[in-house]
Amino acid sequence: MLDDLVIRTEQLSKTFNGVAALKPLDLEVRRNSIFGFLGPNGAGKTTTIKLILGLVRPTSGSASVFGHDIVGDTIDVRRRIGYLPQEPHYYEYMTARETLRFTARFFYTGPAAAIEARVNEILELVGLADRADRPIKGFSAGERQRLGIGQAQVNTPDLLILDEPAASLDPMGRRDVLEIMDKLRERSTVFYSTHILDDVQRVSDTVAILNRGELVAQAPIDELLAGSGGTVYAIEVKGDASQARARISGEPWVRDIHIVPDSDRAEWQVSVTDAEAAEAHLLRLVLADEHITVTRFGRKRYNLEEVFLELIEGDDRVR
Amino acid sequence: MSASAALEISTRHGWLVGFGNMVAKEYASWWRTRRAVVHLLLWLFVINAFILLIGLDEGPAGGRNSPLELLEELIEIFIRVGGLFATIGIVVATQSTVVSERQLGTAEWVLSKPVSRPAFLLSKFVVNGASFIWLAVAVPATVFYLQTLLHAYVQPALLPFLAGMLLHIQHLLFYLAFTLMLGTFFHGRGAVSGIAIGFLFGGLILPSFFPWMTGWLPWALPSLAAMAAQQQPLPAGSVIAIIISLLWTLLCILVALWRFEREEF
Repeated sequence: MLDDLVIRTEQLSKTFNGVAALKPLDLEVRRNSIFGFLGPNGAGKTTTIKLILGLVRPTSGSASVFGHDIVGDTIDVRRRIGYLPQEPHYYEYMTARETLRFTARFFYTGPAAAIEARVNEILELVGLADRADRPIKGFSAGERQRLGIGQAQVNTPDLLILDEPAASLDPMGRRDVLEIMDKLRERSTVFYSTHILDDVQRVSDTVAILNRGELVAQAPIDELLAGSGGTVYAIEVKGDASQARARISGEPWVRDIHIVPDSDRAEWQVSVTDAEAAEAHLLRLVLADEHITVTRFGRKRYNLEEVFLELIEGDDRVR
Repeated sequence: MSASAALEISTRHGWLVGFGNMVAKEYASWWRTRRAVVHLLLWLFVINAFILLIGLDEGPAGGRNSPLELLEELIEIFIRVGGLFATIGIVVATQSTVVSERQLGTAEWVLSKPVSRPAFLLSKFVVNGASFIWLAVAVPATVFYLQTLLHAYVQPALLPFLAGMLLHIQHLLFYLAFTLMLGTFFHGRGAVSGIAIGFLFGGLILPSFFPWMTGWLPWALPSLAAMAAQQQPLPAGSVIAIIISLLWTLLCILVALWRFEREEF
């Protein structure tokens, strides 16, 4: 099971001038997952990424990437990572081709022709082949981001770390980034931080939420979206539902019914203790009442924004 | 066959991993941009054009000096005055080498790749040093060597002149190491260049009040360089002063490496 872990942190923390940027963090990222790392500004996401890359030193705790210690074996760690910083900065006098060649030479010793071929492959992949020999100083934000994604992939990384990869992109750029991440899932693990919750919900399979330097949740996205109140079914009904409600309340597997009225209809949120029993009987019990019409039935799915806000605001209230 | 199949993956380890690639990058920043040409023209203008003016004023046409006296004067000016400009030049040219990479975020990006911090820093010392010495010492010194024929009708003896140039280079390398070291401590160019140039001018003023300082700091090198190039015997204790200067350079590099290893990006 441990072999399956790409990133493992144990009580990893970082303090800057007495201020805890990251409180002791235990994180596990599994192989071939797309791991969304969420949190408001200043939550400690970038600090965690920089700790993994050896750009800052831990105050306490430890972490490993592919079994290599992030402090003692930092070169081995970085050899297997492709990294796109939040605001990538390159040498402005270099062209896109020179930047990719410079990056590739940290990972490959040769032969030169193969390195050039790899550079050309990446230029094609990120759509910069026609601008390959132009100095970067004339590049737009989108072109810079494409170059950033390209340089992060030049070594065919086992782990791709992206810090806010879509923050400065237009919708098409965002879509391209998500497509690249999805394609990489088969051979790489993607660890990325973002504020854009829609993107996380679309591509991530596991999510961790950080708030004020502290981990408030880490779970597979389906588990997180199912909510913290157990299994909940949502039933939208029209008409007088008092009898049906009384009938359902009497079932031993029904824990609670929460009703959200909405003009001529209402949404029932039925918490159950036995999902199988609910699946088999719930709809049938409601439909037994001839006075009501069911317009929607299904397992309640929260969206990530609801979960995120609930967790962050709940965490803030506790402090 | 895909390109990736033929690629040889680097497995290098050690404290200088990535050094070769960093050297190539630093080299390109000098020689594949206009930077080298600008420096070449600047130093030819500042040093050799200045010597030309002095030579025309004080040369045989002026008739105030004998050829040998004029040669000694020109060597003195070349090393002391030209050297002063070159020292200020190396501080200004390299003041932002570390600072701006840190501020712009390029250092963070590069150091996220498999490259060691000593390789990052030492490549800057090696390439900036070699490039600057080539452009601000080797070329102007060669031109000067030919110029002396024009002005004084004699040339300096080659080996003593080269010995003088070596001491001049040693002086410049100290200021390069000192500037890089300051760049690892301070986050602003002003502090880096201010302290380095302040130290340089301190070397011109303070020894008048505290002569013992000259022997313990790299301030004696310009005068020793001029004396060597003029074939004058070096005063007693010169070798120790030269060795101490070398040790200061080494110390600056070691401190810079120590500090940079602890830098957080």
